[in-house]
Amino acid sequence: MAERHRVLMVSDFFYPNFGGVENHIYYLSQCLLELGHKVVVMTHAYGNRSGVRYMTRGLKVYYIPWRPFFLQNTFPTIYGTLPIIRTILIREGISIVHGHQAFSTLCHEALMHARTMGYRVVFTDHSLYGFADVGSIHMNKVLQFTLADVSQAICVSHTSKENTVLRSGLPPEKVFVIPNAVDTAMFTPAPKRSRTDEIIIVVISRLVYRKGADLLVEVIPEVCRLYPHVRFIIGGDGPKRVRLEEMREKHFLQDRVEMLGAVPHARVRSVLISGHIFLNSSLTEAFCIAILEAASCGLLTVSTRVGGVPEVLPDDMIVLAKPDPLDMVHAIKKAISILPMIDPQEMHNRMKQLYDWHDVARRTESVYDRAMNCPDQTLLERLPRYLSCGSWAGKLFCLVMIIDFLLWCLLKVVQPAADIEAVPDSATTHHQSGLDFTDTILFPLDPIGSFLFWVYRKDQKLARRKPCRMTNNMSDTA
Amino acid sequence: MDIGNGRGIPAEQRRKWRKVAYGGMQPGYDDNYTDDSFLEDMVMNANVVKRDMVKVMLDSVIISQYLSIVALVGFVWTYSLQSRLDQKTILLIDAGLLMSGFLILLLTEGMISVSFLIHYLLNLSFSASGLYLLAPVYKTLTRSIRSDSIWAVAGGLLIVHLILHDYSQCFGRAPGMWICISLNSSIMASIFVASRLPSQGDVFAMMLFSLVFLFAPLVAFCIKKYSFRLHIIFSVLLMCYSLALVYRLHTVLFVVLLGLMVFIMVVCPYWLIRIQEYKLEINGPWDEAKRCFDITD
Repeated sequence: MAERHRVLMVSDFFYPNFGGVENHIYYLSQCLLELGHKVVVMTHAYGNRSGVRYMTRGLKVYYIPWRPFFLQNTFPTIYGTLPIIRTILIREGISIVHGHQAFSTLCHEALMHARTMGYRVVFTDHSLYGFADVGSIHMNKVLQFTLADVSQAICVSHTSKENTVLRSGLPPEKVFVIPNAVDTAMFTPAPKRSRTDEIIIVVISRLVYRKGADLLVEVIPEVCRLYPHVRFIIGGDGPKRVRLEEMREKHFLQDRVEMLGAVPHARVRSVLISGHIFLNSSLTEAFCIAILEAASCGLLTVSTRVGGVPEVLPDDMIVLAKPDPLDMVHAIKKAISILPMIDPQEMHNRMKQLYDWHDVARRTESVYDRAMNCPDQTLLERLPRYLSCGSWAGKLFCLVMIIDFLLWCLLKVVQPAADIEAVPDSATTHHQSGLDFTDTILFPLDPIGSFLFWVYRKDQKLARRKPCRMTNNMSDTA
Repeated sequence: MDIGNGRGIPAEQRRKWRKVAYGGMQPGYDDNYTDDSFLEDMVMNANVVKRDMVKVMLDSVIISQYLSIVALVGFVWTYSLQSRLDQKTILLIDAGLLMSGFLILLLTEGMISVSFLIHYLLNLSFSASGLYLLAPVYKTLTRSIRSDSIWAVAGGLLIVHLILHDYSQCFGRAPGMWICISLNSSIMASIFVASRLPSQGDVFAMMLFSLVFLFAPLVAFCIKKYSFRLHIIFSVLLMCYSLALVYRLHTVLFVVLLGLMVFIMVVCPYWLIRIQEYKLEINGPWDEAKRCFDITD
């Protein structure tokens, strides 16, 4: 077997939060563990879930005691996380730090510190950004800073790659395209469909502007008018829910449009299999895992042609439309006409061929191999890259990196690496769930570590009483 | 490793690369393969309008025009505070401006109807009588404050008004917050100035004058809509007139006003054309879809 990597996945987004990024990190980690690599996840504390947790196959998760302040993001302190990240990196003997999602401040900070300490760094971008508004301009600058010195970058679709290359100025050959996948074992079609003339269209998304809830408001009444035997099931919650409910009342569609509210991920399949057509109305989307889940359940997908969506499925499994109500209605008409030709079981089998998390893990592994082959560089060799980021920003970035370097040197004196005890590796391989007793002699000299330990002990007590729900709920890909 | 060039499979055996994410790694192509079609959907500077110098200069006239209107108002304020204009003259000016404004509106818009006229006269008489009733209050409003402070505040408010004024002149649209602030600061400035005047009659005349001056942008807009040439002639006349009056008032102010006008009508357009070259607008499939449907919340 090739070199065994020791990976730290970093993102603000991880379970118990739910979404595409969280899913991606979890499945990728599981498959990498299966391939024999060591994987540790780091995220911020969620509620009282703070300290160390274990998930299926001994996936170790550090919930560091940093509170989120906005949309599950930690407050950007730039240097605040350096001590704890250093401790984790040394304790776990990490060789590669893999950050996820451009929104995540924790990810940006971890990648910066990791580069300062000379670790190889990989970054995965999960979303698309425009270039016009103030928010994107700021985000793009931050991304440029992080990616200026990243070893390799990964994007989830070709469109996302184009976007990332434009935003960060990274050479295209450094950016890999590795899509998401779907756990086809979890999303299976309904064993036997009830033969009725009714056609059910399912929508599962957060009801927000970006997901095109306003488009739904115009499409649904029109489709209901054209096809008396069509029903809609809408799962999800959000600020636009009120508009949808208004639409339902205005057109007297209460008995034909069912609104479920937020659907927990464990129930998504049961909602999906009650329908025939999956409707995605996003206005922007880098990849869209929801489409994969629907297709895996044997649903025909109708979607807006935005971002990376056209790359996701073969043309005969999806009907694409312009993000415009009229065109969407046309696409739904077309979908209804080809629906009799669709065999859910066959579609599910095709999805098994097309998407597999193991494949994703193997491709990611080769990216890690390349990252490890990147030459080692000193601070002085790396600074010119930051300097080239812009006339003002470049100097600012350099200053930030130099201060980070000095802080790291200070930290090395205050807390030498030799004082930080490493975790024995064997713990992660044979250990299935429950507690890792090698960890009971945690961080003797490290104040944050001691805090972690304290929280961890508290969690242990809780865990003995009530086993971690997350571990039980997650089904394995194997 | 030859980055991005496949894995040593002869070119004719390789299947064409497709821009798809499904089906795992495409045989013969690495994950970091960059096709020739990379970024082909990118559109640059799609919505950028090429401007030429003359057009920008002519467009900037409207700003100078408004500046000269404000300068004229300031001139009237100073003269009446120096008691060089009595209330009868100011009332005559008010009436004259109001009449000519109406005439211009009627001529350019062609809205000659009795009900329209009555409606406006009624409104005007309401506000005028309101002002007349409030004049004693205004007169004593700033008695405990020194004149210097009032001048400074009024000057500051006028600058705020000028900066935030809606030069695009979209009448009929709901005004934004900045436009409301601009309007309010001009009214406050006129109240402050009027409160320094000696008699109630003066205060009333001055407030009425300020009210009339609020309608100036509407009149200017109608002229511009009617004929652009007329608008330019009107503006140039207005600018010359205000420059001449300000020259009589103070030489330094004259120089400042002239400098500002040159800056607005010559330097700024040139500047805009220059920085236009650096414009870089990037659009592509990653953009959020535009609102091709209406949102009525």
